[in-house]
Parts: sequence; structure tokens; C-alpha cells
Amino acid sequence: MSRPPRIAALLVAAGATGILLLTGCAPAASPSSPAAGPTPGGTLTYASGDAEPTCLDPHVGGNYPQALISGQFLESLVSRDAEGEIVPWLASEWSEAEDGLSWTFTLRDDVTFTDGTPFDAEAVKASIEHVQDPATGSSTGYLAMGKVDNVEVVDAGTVRFDLSAPDSALLESLSQPWVAMESPAGMTRGIEQNCESPIGTGPFSVSEWVKQDSITLVRNDDYVSPPADAAHEGPAYLEKIVWRFLPDSASRYAALQAGQVDVIDNAQPDALVAAQTEDGITSLDAPRPGSVNRIEFNSGKAPFDSEEVREAFIRSAGVDDGIESLFFGTAERSYSPLASVESLAYSDPAPFAFNLDEANSLLDGAGWSERDSEGYRVKNGTRLTVEFPVSTNQSIPAEQSLFEQIQATTKEAGFEVKLRLLDLGSWYAALGANEYDLVSAPYTKVGPDVLRILYHSDGITPAPSGYFANHAQVSIPELDDLLTRAGETSDATERAALYADAQAVVLEGFYILPLYDQQNHYLLRDRVAGLRALPTVSTPTFYDAWLAD
Amino acid sequence: MTPGWRTDGAPPPARWRVARAPLQLLVRLGGGIFVLWSVATLTFFGIRLIPGDPAQAVLGGPGSQASAEALAVARAEYGLDQPLLVQYLRQLARFATGDFGTSYSLKTEVAPLLLAQLPGTLLLAGLALAVAWLLALTVASWSTRGGRVGDWVGSGLEIVGAGLPHFWLATLLILTFSVGLGWVPPISTPGVPGLVLPVATLAIPLAGFLGQVMRESLLDALESPFALSARARGESERGVRRVHAIRHAALPGIALSGWAFGYLISGAVVVETIFARPGLGRTLLAAVTQRDVPVVIGVVLLVALAYIVATAVTDVASRALDPRRAA
Amino acid sequence: MTELEAQAASAVIRRGRASGFRRIGVAEGLSAAFLAFLLLAALAPDLISPLDPLGIDPANAFEPPSFGQVLGTDESGRSIFSRVVHGAGTSLLIGVAASTIGLGLGTILGVLAGSGGRIVDFGVSRFLEVLFALPGLLLALFLIVIVGPGALTTTLAVGLSTAPGYARIIRSQLITVRGSAYVEAATVLGLGRMRILARHVLPNTLAPLFALGTLGVGQAIVWASALSYLGLGAVPPSPEWGAMLAAGRTYLSTAWWMSVFPGLFIVLTAICATVLGRAAGNRTRRR
Repeated sequence: MSRPPRIAALLVAAGATGILLLTGCAPAASPSSPAAGPTPGGTLTYASGDAEPTCLDPHVGGNYPQALISGQFLESLVSRDAEGEIVPWLASEWSEAEDGLSWTFTLRDDVTFTDGTPFDAEAVKASIEHVQDPATGSSTGYLAMGKVDNVEVVDAGTVRFDLSAPDSALLESLSQPWVAMESPAGMTRGIEQNCESPIGTGPFSVSEWVKQDSITLVRNDDYVSPPADAAHEGPAYLEKIVWRFLPDSASRYAALQAGQVDVIDNAQPDALVAAQTEDGITSLDAPRPGSVNRIEFNSGKAPFDSEEVREAFIRSAGVDDGIESLFFGTAERSYSPLASVESLAYSDPAPFAFNLDEANSLLDGAGWSERDSEGYRVKNGTRLTVEFPVSTNQSIPAEQSLFEQIQATTKEAGFEVKLRLLDLGSWYAALGANEYDLVSAPYTKVGPDVLRILYHSDGITPAPSGYFANHAQVSIPELDDLLTRAGETSDATERAALYADAQAVVLEGFYILPLYDQQNHYLLRDRVAGLRALPTVSTPTFYDAWLAD
Repeated sequence: MTPGWRTDGAPPPARWRVARAPLQLLVRLGGGIFVLWSVATLTFFGIRLIPGDPAQAVLGGPGSQASAEALAVARAEYGLDQPLLVQYLRQLARFATGDFGTSYSLKTEVAPLLLAQLPGTLLLAGLALAVAWLLALTVASWSTRGGRVGDWVGSGLEIVGAGLPHFWLATLLILTFSVGLGWVPPISTPGVPGLVLPVATLAIPLAGFLGQVMRESLLDALESPFALSARARGESERGVRRVHAIRHAALPGIALSGWAFGYLISGAVVVETIFARPGLGRTLLAAVTQRDVPVVIGVVLLVALAYIVATAVTDVASRALDPRRAA
Repeated sequence: MTELEAQAASAVIRRGRASGFRRIGVAEGLSAAFLAFLLLAALAPDLISPLDPLGIDPANAFEPPSFGQVLGTDESGRSIFSRVVHGAGTSLLIGVAASTIGLGLGTILGVLAGSGGRIVDFGVSRFLEVLFALPGLLLALFLIVIVGPGALTTTLAVGLSTAPGYARIIRSQLITVRGSAYVEAATVLGLGRMRILARHVLPNTLAPLFALGTLGVGQAIVWASALSYLGLGAVPPSPEWGAMLAAGRTYLSTAWWMSVFPGLFIVLTAICATVLGRAAGNRTRRR
């Protein structure tokens, strides 16, 4: 090659080496020790890697990005503490009727919404009805309130929930941000305005939302209602939170390193490892409750309507090495349908042991005994092809790489996995059109009741939002019965046993391939003190946080 | 005049131009309206090609969380029960009055939403164009002085520059100048420092393109009769370059700036995402991901409009700079 | 990007006049050798690198370049060298297909405008304006809304958006050639209009097209990689260069080789194609 290309090559190589040297000796951040007590004041900048919500009211739709931010200005009737016990929040006490068909809540009487509307039984009724109104388009909250027939105002400080069937998960469901309490006056403004600035009772309120840029939250100086497990009382310490949206993971971490932002979410595995050796940055790991991250098999159609084929896929998908190397040890392999933070999670590694020989003999037995020229199995002229739509908005790069590795290992057994990286719109469309054999969709909910949403045959029918949660299309009367009974019993021991049985059915039927907890890593600069994740859906709460400088 | 830079061939004689100026303006305006009309037509029929219910498509496709009520509202708003021709004419009428409908995902009017995003993107694109222009001119003028080595180095730099994808270059710049050296913030801030990296990311590949064209015409100019006669008059080489050659070299660069605009808009989609800058590109990407059809159509039309204005402006600029065409 | 590319290409071709004549042979020879290597890689990748480009080995992920793995390994322990070699086919196909669409459509429109009457010229020129008003990535994103993402969408969008640039060049070339002495001579000799067009004008106009197209190939790959970065590109685990570049960017600070080498191949392809394009431009001019 003549001169310029060689020079060009040298330049590129030199550039790359330069980066390595530079990043190797990044400037050391000044270590600040939060020795003194909490100091009020200051502005904290938060950088979110999630998509910017299109609506700040978590009643509408109901996803995790909405929960992240609305947790700063909306509050729920109850909360959950670090031990998993339900604790008082806006409701000070509650009781279940003998028949389990109604619950009565006593509300705090000293709380007002940030628009001045008093928080009372009417507000609770309006909030729940808002979630249940089809026009709101709620998905997550709607499913969680599935058994609530009617909300009755007993008096200003007392409200009664009438249920169609006993609901052992009612308190857990109510602790979630997707059924948070909102000002009735706010909700009557209509969806458009309420999406722009929902009005709650929280420690902060929405002051400004510059689309595609940031949301500014300001302190609620009249705040009186922290959950029972909070570290202090009265208003929050921080004066202001600037909530930015930084979709690119590399620039997000760079912004934290440069001190441009104080907290980032969705920290990627490589950033977590790099942060361990970086001065001035600490991490907060808050695995989400509810479901584990898993691959679901569409058992509603061929080829995964056959249990042998599902088992063969699982036996030939070696994921342990991949999880270790792609996540640099930051994610732990799971063998349960439930997240590790759920106390009722039932774990069984046996169905998931890697065994290529067994996979091959299972496929032979299921009639997929021939192979074509490319090594894929064939039955009656049809190739063993499985469609795997992957949402690039929900699966991080490391997870996408893991799926590629599964594609490579299952090929040994003769599966042709068609990975399709899709944007969210196309991904939903593929799911809605039943054009998938494998899918990985996160689902966060407080408590084991998530099993009912994900694996009860009712979940095959879409919610009013158009979303259906039972992607595995599991339809087993015995499992439905277990989940219904678990959802209705008020006996804790019986509930645990029923859920364990239900999880065993899901695992042993090879409906899912559990991978790891829904990763939820935060990185923060040392100047941020007192930050904790709320033990409900693991969103960080800035109520107790303060800046140490 | 190098062939291909302009559509309308050689300029008419000066005495004609004065008389024909209003006519030219009219033709120009008519051309602009034609382009807008065509783009609107293309988008209208393009959207009808989406399989399934158009009302569903307007509200974000099959995966959207559209209720029956929302679908009914969309049908009424877009007159989807009317004959296609009626729908088409109604849509044109709505566009003509600046009504781009309501964003399905953001639940706000599209027109004000996009107008708020426009200045940020224009500022970014404008600055990037200026910087690219300076870079290209510097490299071109340096390399034409450096003999064959300079020529090869310059041309190599330009080709490498033009071949750098924005997303990769952006990360390289962030790692080097923000994380490594700590000179500029990695993500966008309202002030000047926050603009440095986004502008550089957009400008460097563009400079690669512009440089190739500028160097060519700079060489032409240095060998041209007027440069020779200037040298013969005893002007220094420096003077020749500064006064004549650079001005000559700038011409194709200016003529190309209108086209560079399209390139910058494409690049803005990536750059605004990486540097978390609010703007049209980022809005468009979010809208595409959520199948927010009204916003996508709005961005396409707005960019077409901006393109028309940009080409008109560069046309005026090149007339002003071109000694053969100046009034 | 469109007109600009074509402009740049045209300028690059014409550059041959100012330099390069004396050095014909060395640069061109090496460029041709590199492109031949790529062609071989595209047609018979196993000859060059028998290692499976999709064969994973998580235990050896993120290995830097070494004697065993000349270009290192990626996040799944796959050989970067093997992936680059095996990806040559797909990447060049995207580039060549996009350029072909652009050139084909551009030629038709350019010839129509340049050789038809004033009205046809006016009409086609307005149509070109419309295409120009839809920047490449914008067009790609609009197509994605309609037909969904994929390699075909990318190729089509890049091809469509480069067409007007080519069309303008061809149109003005045609007009220049039409006014040249030998065409006038042919007209004086009484040859028919179509015959002049077919025998004299078109060959002289279309000859530089090959050169124009070569530059477009590298650009098409770069734009396809941008779509991969945005999550709207090639299908995994296809070792397409743009997709590799986009995937490797995540690990730029820890494993630079994952994206630098695929990027290097894109840039080298563009350089070599340009060098050859210049040479082709010189040949046609000298004839």
C-alpha cells in the first residue's frame, strides 16, 4: 500500500492507543467523606438511561421508567421494608374482613397533595378508579387491581376495598408506584395535563419538563408523610433534582466520571467493573422484585408446544460461561421464576443442567431426527427454526450478546434461532401478532403474585392497553388453580407452599429459561449520601439523600 | 464553473438578470412549494402502506396501547372513513395551516413541539458546517503547499475523516477529551463547552468531504490565468492565495453547504442521542421507536422546509462571493 | 450526504490531473490487491480464515490481539479476524447494492434530464430536489416506520438517497459532452439524435460512473453501521462490519480492537476504491 493508507492506519492505531493510555490514568476525584450529618440544600443531577417517559403519570401504561421518577413525587397507601414486611405509608393501619372479600384502610389525616387538595378517602377512590378506567390505558396498575370491584368511602379518613375474590397480594400490589395516590383535582384535568405534571403527596413535585432533555423536581416544603422505614421526618434535604435522559451508556458513565451528573442508572457491566477501581464513585445494586430475567418459550404453537423440544433447547443452551464473562461477575445465575429478593422464590437447578447428548436424544424422540446440509434439524420438510425478537430498548448489549451465544450453542443441537433486534414498536408488534417462539420481557411487581400475571392462562388475553403478560402462553388448569388459591389464601404457610408448587410446575414444564435478576445497578458520586432503594420495586428514593459538599 | 454544481447552468448576462429577478424569485418559491407538496404527498401515501388499520398506525402500530376510544378519535381526526382523495386533500389543508396533528406518545400538538426542538438542531448543524468549512479549507490550503507528500497526506486525512461513523467518533472524542483530559463536558450543556464535542463529531467527517472538493478547486485556482497574472504583477504567493485562491476554493464549498445540510441532519440523529442534546434528530428517533406517525411526518416536512431555506441562502451567498456573478 | 458524496467523488476523479500520473502503478496495484483480497474473502472466506466466525468461546472473550488471534476476540470469544473476513461478503453486498440502486436510479434520472427536452429536464430536476430534501438517515427511519428495520431497508434508503447526487453529475456531464466538439461534428455529419446519444454521448458520460460508485460503497457501509448503532440495523450474529463496529463501540475503552479493526477495514475499502476510482477516471480522460 502506498503512503496515505499506511499513515491513516497508523493514525487510527495511535488514536486507539492514546485512548487506552488516557483512560488508564483518569483524573482522581476528590474524596469527600460524609462525616458531618445531613446538610439540607443543593441540586442533584440524575441521569437515566431509560427511555424518557411519554407520560409522568404511572397510571397510564405503567413501566419502570415511570416508576423511577414518579416515586419522587407520588406516594402509595403502604410500603415494604427491607425485610419484606408491609409497613404504613399514606394508610396508617388496615384490616382484612373475615371472608377476605373486603379490606378497610385508615388513612393519615394530616396529608395534603401539593396542589392543596387534602388527601382523604375520596382521593383513594378517585385514584383506584382512574387506574381501572379503560380510558386511562393502564396496564401494570390495571392488572394489579384486577380483583378490586369497588372502592367505598366510609368516611373522610376510612376507605374500604371490596374484592371479587380474596387477594393475598392486595397490600403488595398497593405498595407499587403504578397504583400511587394522585390528587383528584389533578386527574380531572385530563390525561394530557396530568401526564405533564401529576400531583401527589411526595417529598418533591414536578416543576418543569423540557421534552427530550430533563425534568426538574423541586422540594415539597410541606412534606409530612414519609414511609414508616424512612431515616428522617419532615421535608427532604435536597432542594432540587434535575432528572436527565442520557440514552447512550458510554456517555452516561463518562458524565458521571466527569462529575457532570451525580447518579446514573442502568450502569452497564463494563462500567460497574471500571467503577470499582475509580475513586469517588460507589455503586448501589438494587435487583428488582417480581420476575427474574428469563427467556420464555411460546408453548402456544409449534415447535415449542412440545415439552421435549423445550427441554432440548434448555439442555443445549449453555449460558453459565456467557453470564460470567459478559457481566464480569456482576450478575448471578438464577434457577427460579422469581427474583432473588422475593422470599417465596423457589429455585431448582436440576431442569437446567447443560447436556447436549440429552438434547439430541430428546429431539430425535420428538421426531426432529433428520438434519439438513447446514446442520439444522428437519421434520416433515420443515426446519427447526425459532423466532426470537429482541427489544433493543429492553435488552442491554451484554444480554444481546448472551442471546447470540445461546443461538450458537443451541445450533449444536440443531436449532436455528432467528434473532431479530427490534425497536420497541416492532417488538410489541411481533408479540401482538404471535410471531415469536422465544422472548425475553422483564416484568416487575412486588411479591409472588407476579406469577399469576405471567403464568395464569388469563394472562394470554390482552389487558385494555393491548399488552398481554403470559408470553409463554402457559395454559394448565392445575397451575391456574394453584395460582388462584395462592392468591386467595390468607394463611402465610399455605400461600408459600402453593406458590412453591406453582413455580415447580413452571420450571419442570420447561416454560422458561431463568437467567439472572433484573439488573438494576446505580452508580453515584461520593458526594451523594443517604440514597437508598425503596424495597418495593427497588427504585431509588431521594427523600433521605443529601449532598456532602 | 465546474459542471454539476448548479442546475441552472451558466448565469444569464447581467442586464437580463435585473429584469428577470422577480420571475426567478417566483420560480424559486414555486419550486419550494412543489418540494413541500411532494414530500407531504409521499408521506401521506407512505403511511398508508403500513399494513393494517391506518388509525392503529397513527396511534403507534399494533403494539401501541390504543384504546377503542382513541382509535375512534383518530379515525375522526384524520377522516379515515372518508374516500382516500378526500382524506388526502384534508391532510394537505391541515398541513397548509400548520396543523400537524397530535403526537400519540407525547399527547401534545406536534407543531409547537417540533418548533421548540428546531433551534437546537439548527445551531448544532450551523456551527458544525462552519467548523467543517474552516477545517476543510485549512487542510486543503496546507496540503496544496506541501507538494506530493502534502497532497497524499491531505487526501488521506480527508478520506479517513469522511469514513468515520459519527457514533464511533463521538465515543472516541468523549474518552479522549472528557474522560482522559477533562477539557470539555461529555454530555451537552447549555453553554459553549457542551457544544464542543457534538460540533466536532459532526464537523470532522463533513470536513473530509468538503476538503476533497475544496482542494480540487484550490488547485484549479492556483493554476488559473488570474493567479498567474497576479503573480506576474508581483503579488506574493501568500497574497495570491489569500486574495484569489481561497475565495475561489470557497465557492464550491458554499454551493455544497445546502447539501451538507441534509448530511448534518442525518448525523444529528446520532449525535443528539450520544450527547443527550435535545433536538429534532433525537425527537425523530424516539418517534420512530414508538411509531409516532404524526411526529415522524412533522419532522420530515420540517426538514424539507429547512432544506429549501438553506439552499436558497447558500445560493444567495455564492452569488455574492462569485466574482463572475456578483451584482 | 448525497450530492456531497457525488461532488467529492467527481472532484477526486478529477484530481488525477493534478497529481498521480507519475505514480500510477504502486498505489493502484496495492489497492487492487486489497480489493482482490476482499473479493476472495467475500467469495471463499474459509480459504483465508477457516475459523468459524460464529464459534463462541466465552472463556476467551476480550482477548487482545496476539499471535494466535491476530485481531483479538470479541465479547463472546469469537475471532475478530475471522469475523472481518467472513463479514466482507455481507458488508460489500450492502455497499455494492446500495451504490447500484443509487447509480441505476441516478443514471436513469440523469440521462432523462440531460437528454430530454426542457420540460422533462425541469420536471426531473424538481423531482431530484424532492429526493434531496429527504436526507439519508431520515429516509431510512421513515422507511423503517413503514416496512420495519432490516438490511434491505437500510440498503434501499442509502441507495435512494444517493441517487439524486449521481443524477445531477450525470446530467451536467451529459450537457457538457453534448456541447463538445466531436458531438457537434457528428451532428454536422448528419447522424441521428438517438444514434449520437447512444454512440457518443452516453459512453463518455457513463465511463466515470464506475469510479463514482466505488466511493459510495464505503459510505453505504458507514451509514448502515449508524443504523446498527441506533438498534435498527443488521441481523445478529451476522459479522457485518458496520454491526461489528457498532457492537464494539460499547467496549471501546476496554477492548478497542473490537471496533477499530472493522472500522479500519471500512476506511481501507473506501481508500482503495477511491484510488482505483481516480485511476479509472484518468484512463477515461486520457482516451
